[in-house]
Amino acid sequence: MPPLDKRIKKFIKNSLRVAPRVSNKGELAELRAALVSQYPQTRKDAIKKTIQQMTLSKDVSSLFPDVLKNIATNDVEQKKLVYLYVMNYAETHPELCILAVNTFVTDAQDPNPLIRCMSIRTMSMIRVDKILEYVETPLRRTLQDDNAYVRKTAVICVAKLFQLNKELCIELGVLEDLVSALDDANPMVVANATAALTEINAMDSSVVNLAELINSHVSQFLLALNECTEWARITILGALAEYNARDSLEAQDIIDRVSAHLQHVNPAVVLATIQVVIKNYSRTEQQNPKAFMNRLSSALVSIMSTPPEMQYVALRNIRIILEKYPEVLTKELRIFYVKFNDPLYIKIEKIDILVRLIDSTNFKQCNMLLVELKEYAMEFEPEFVSRAIQGLAQLGIKYSEEKFVAKTLDVLLELLEGHENLKDDCCVAVCDLLRHSVGNDTMANNVCSVLNSWSSVESTLTSDAAKCNYIWLMGQYPDKFTSLESKLEAFVQEFPQEEPLTQTSILMTVVRLHSKLSGNILQNVLELATNSIHELDVRDMAILYWRCLSVSDSEKLIEELCSSVSPRIENTLDQFSADVLEKLLTELSTISSILFKPKSDRNTSYVQRQYVVRGKQMDELKDIAKTEIAKTMNDDVLLDFDDDDDESNPQISGNNNALDDLDELFDFGSVPSNSANVDQGMKNLNIQTQPAKKTSNTQDLLDLF
Amino acid sequence: MGNFFSSMFDRLWGVNKELRMLILGLDGAGKTTILYRLQIGEVVTTKPTIGFNVETLTYKNLKLNVWDLGGQTSIRPYWRCYYADTAAVIFVVDSTDRDRMSTASKELHLMLQEEELQDAALLVFANKQDQPGALSASEVSKELNLVELKDRNWSIVASSAIKGEGITEGLDWLIDVIKEEQL
Repeated sequence: MPPLDKRIKKFIKNSLRVAPRVSNKGELAELRAALVSQYPQTRKDAIKKTIQQMTLSKDVSSLFPDVLKNIATNDVEQKKLVYLYVMNYAETHPELCILAVNTFVTDAQDPNPLIRCMSIRTMSMIRVDKILEYVETPLRRTLQDDNAYVRKTAVICVAKLFQLNKELCIELGVLEDLVSALDDANPMVVANATAALTEINAMDSSVVNLAELINSHVSQFLLALNECTEWARITILGALAEYNARDSLEAQDIIDRVSAHLQHVNPAVVLATIQVVIKNYSRTEQQNPKAFMNRLSSALVSIMSTPPEMQYVALRNIRIILEKYPEVLTKELRIFYVKFNDPLYIKIEKIDILVRLIDSTNFKQCNMLLVELKEYAMEFEPEFVSRAIQGLAQLGIKYSEEKFVAKTLDVLLELLEGHENLKDDCCVAVCDLLRHSVGNDTMANNVCSVLNSWSSVESTLTSDAAKCNYIWLMGQYPDKFTSLESKLEAFVQEFPQEEPLTQTSILMTVVRLHSKLSGNILQNVLELATNSIHELDVRDMAILYWRCLSVSDSEKLIEELCSSVSPRIENTLDQFSADVLEKLLTELSTISSILFKPKSDRNTSYVQRQYVVRGKQMDELKDIAKTEIAKTMNDDVLLDFDDDDDESNPQISGNNNALDDLDELFDFGSVPSNSANVDQGMKNLNIQTQPAKKTSNTQDLLDLF
Repeated sequence: MGNFFSSMFDRLWGVNKELRMLILGLDGAGKTTILYRLQIGEVVTTKPTIGFNVETLTYKNLKLNVWDLGGQTSIRPYWRCYYADTAAVIFVVDSTDRDRMSTASKELHLMLQEEELQDAALLVFANKQDQPGALSASEVSKELNLVELKDRNWSIVASSAIKGEGITEGLDWLIDVIKEEQL
């Protein structure tokens, strides 16, 4: 409820009003009449209502000429609304947009900087080439504007213009203005110019030499860094991360200058800073690594106190950093403990980090984590529990001391006894531990006595890995299992339905133990593997074994093959290759760091979204599409000959939609799935239902970019 | 009854209502200069108008919404978008441009045929009288075939937007005509 005086004012204003009101129905005819009303108040109301309809995603594009008439006004609010409308619908009336040019140009010289800024921003967002022809004067003027707010918008507009019409942008020479904006006194302008140049460089790296520009402007960046907004800061830090310091002194200087931002509230700033710091740290002569690590770890801790989604990003980045600097954060183990209200994806990442963090020389810490993980394993979310059990095995192997491993094993076996549904994961985990402590007989005894007691193992274990491990265990310690043959036989019966890992494992174990088993099992498995399995590896392996068995001294050969001891496993934590790690460290806080895939490995051909409406080209495309559709319509007639008279009309109107969509699609030819879509659409006989679907597809794709 | 009140209110609050007026003519005739002469009483340096200028000015207690539309060949087709509810048209002719007099005449008559402009008054400015070799008002009138116009209030005034001559005289006439028609 607004304050009383405001309500009274509103009441008086409304009761004195003569200008006709616009109803809320939003009928186009009514809106059109109101838009050209003689009363300014009515016109403004009508614009508001039109925008309202627009936001409800109703098509009000037919009002374009009438809305456009209201573009020249002194009322900032109204101007803003009209600009919004024009931006949205310019493409529907490309030829009429020209009527707005004069207003844009005039507004770019308005005494009010807000309006100057709005005009250039809107103008560069209209994807109509006729408008772009006139962008030169206002763009140049605003680039040299006295007001920094206008300048910072204008530099972004250069990037937009570049995207829409590269040739024009180069021809106008505004890129030089953009480069000189890097020397601007205002930090916001510097930041936006950097952002614009980065964008342009990503679109076409041949136009500007970004690396060189960054090299020559580092001091400006460092100066601007402290005085601009957080988002500008991220841009500048991003540019600094590209810079290679000349010597260790400069690197140290950069670290000192940026490290203040390690404490920023915005996690993106913190991550960007970390990226710069890490890049330069390796170049400094490391005099005081401990202080550095402290600073780094407090920054990382600070980004852990964010909402879950950001925490996830933080965790993924921490994982990368940990691999380079494992000693960082060792004292901060506690913040990575799982909280009961963490979302699952956070919990799983946290376990991963916890195991990585642990200092493998600190028994107390390991023991604490062991207890913690055991707690986790008794939770109810299956994915979380299974990750916790995996974590237990990883922890045991990482600490590596025999007693501790045995303790971990006990924990796992204890878990096994209490919980039926953990069998899969525990089975894998205990086998991992056994592989680590090769030759430890008591542990093997313990494990086997528990596992041996299970009945109908082939159906209790569900995952491929668990089955594979169980069978491996039987092959490894055949003496510790009772009724080995019947157990194996049960697996063999399921052989064709199993997944490759289990199949391989069955095959190996049966061959290994063939002297202990009755002959037909071996025969059976080999036959199954060679005849009814499509998995090439399994089949080849079976054939190989068969050949080995058929040579004269097969016994000895098999003995040799099977008795080889697999190497003791030392580490179950996956690691990046050195090359990937280096790349990822330079791409911290980007999407690469979350996917763990460097940019070069991901298929990121920059999809340049350039679709300026060009009158002629559009017509040509329309013609092509029309003939195509006419063709398919002929095919259509062959199929439904009954009601083609009734359908021809709606189909033509449907086609118009289809044509528009096709135009859109053609302009995005670079997106492969789209062009496939077009083809499909063309071939599709039922054109009427197709347009709606396609639009949503395109729209989705557009939204993605 | 309601109608009576609303019309009374209309008079009372007549300031709220605006009269639409168009300034048309070939490119370079001086439309924008005339508009700003009316608005701020000064000569402004202009560029070819791509699109339109619109200014609201109060003249003799009337609120005028004056639209100056660009005269380039490419923009002329869009004049029609602005015809609706127009009280008066000011057609500006460059009196020194003898070669394009026929084009101006053609555009003028084409425009006046429009249904939406049937009731609009017409004022022609024979502009640029300050320039040597300018045709006089009567000569321009002859070139434009103004005599042929029937059923329409029209007038032609010799003017110079730069010097500010003739503009007010012309507008005074136009306002009188409009007042007679509208009120």
